[in-house]
Amino acid sequence: MDEKTVRALRAGIILAFIIIVIGLLIYSRIMAYSLAPQSKPVDLRGLPIWQIPIVYLIDYFSHGTVCLLFAFTVAGLIYEFVPKEAITKYMGSGRVAGYGLALGMAPFLTVCSCTMVPLFGGVLYAGAGIGPAITFLLMAPAANILTILLTGEMISWEVAGVRIIASATVALVAGIIISKTPWGKAVEKEHQVANAAATAKIELAKPPLDERLWAALKFAGYLAKQILPFFILGLIAVSYVEAFLPEDIVGTYLTGVTGILIASVLGGPLYTPTLVEVVLGKAMWDLGMSKGALLSWLMGQPYDVANALAVSRIAKWKVVLTYMLIAWAGSVTFGLLYGFLSGSL
Amino acid sequence: MKEVKVEVIGPEPPCMRCQAVKRVVERAAEKLKQSGIMVNIERANIMSKEVVQKYGILVSPALAINNTVKVMGRVPSSDEAEKLIREAAE
Repeated sequence: MDEKTVRALRAGIILAFIIIVIGLLIYSRIMAYSLAPQSKPVDLRGLPIWQIPIVYLIDYFSHGTVCLLFAFTVAGLIYEFVPKEAITKYMGSGRVAGYGLALGMAPFLTVCSCTMVPLFGGVLYAGAGIGPAITFLLMAPAANILTILLTGEMISWEVAGVRIIASATVALVAGIIISKTPWGKAVEKEHQVANAAATAKIELAKPPLDERLWAALKFAGYLAKQILPFFILGLIAVSYVEAFLPEDIVGTYLTGVTGILIASVLGGPLYTPTLVEVVLGKAMWDLGMSKGALLSWLMGQPYDVANALAVSRIAKWKVVLTYMLIAWAGSVTFGLLYGFLSGSL
Repeated sequence: MKEVKVEVIGPEPPCMRCQAVKRVVERAAEKLKQSGIMVNIERANIMSKEVVQKYGILVSPALAINNTVKVMGRVPSSDEAEKLIREAAE
């Protein structure tokens, strides 16, 4: 066999795998079986302590494997095939384009946290300024493909949709406000690079299709390796929450206006970039948390601490505090709004 | 002996995938040495003003060969890195 045939064959095999993964998800849709764990808090309560996480994990993976496989595969594919060169070129070009791309592209570029802070720096340095940089930073963790897919599959697509819209609005508002503050402008001035973006020096090499597909799957595997260990630890914690957190505590503290305030404050410090917030959110939702509080909880991540620390190395603390405050206010506002509109406050 | 400058561009401290790129390049350099191509590997900070001024916004990890960005946002295979460097040397 010559090289061309071998390559075509390899590409075909990988494509077949991808189609099977997508097919499995569609199949689960058609057959209408749930991909979220089915165990109810009541089922877990009677079990011995050591059995709770085992039962929950088996329950989770018997339902959730297809969803996880799909999420990681799609994330890997999108990340590999998204035209990075075009995006980075336009991100530095001007304010309006900068905001637009920050919102539209953050979900596709940032499945890996290691690319997020560098891109924030790049956008800030290379001309679009602090506004789009902040918008990008807040949009990225809130709406990356993995989180959205998992929120949609495990909780509901309605919540996932609202989460995207709410996060985008908050990110945009925070970006615009910070670009108007004196301390925001100071950071921008300090970092602006004259005549940046000499894009003539970028000529990306395009490997053949089979290599790109393989790289996409390898990246999916890398993501899984990074995230799954923490995800499983998180699930174990969630199983105990389901088993031992009494419903009346959730009913008292995680509903209504109080619920939204508490959920929005807890969402930040407890946020781990490992999708656990989705599962934990679902667990508390099962126990009676209101939809409004759930949204506030899920929106809590832009002001998580690890993220803020990394950013404060580039931007000043004042900027970080400002965007954290705006993000927090946004999560409360949208929690109230969504709770009110959906009748689940 | 031909010389080729290769910059591995990523955040400081380096992220895992940037370290992977560096290892790939080192492996390729080892092979290229035998065919008379000298590879100078440098690490560049993606968030430094110099890099932004030179290349604009990049997605890490990125690989620049003789001052041209050839790869960004992915880890190339060792064969691909070898091929790219070889092309630059000619």
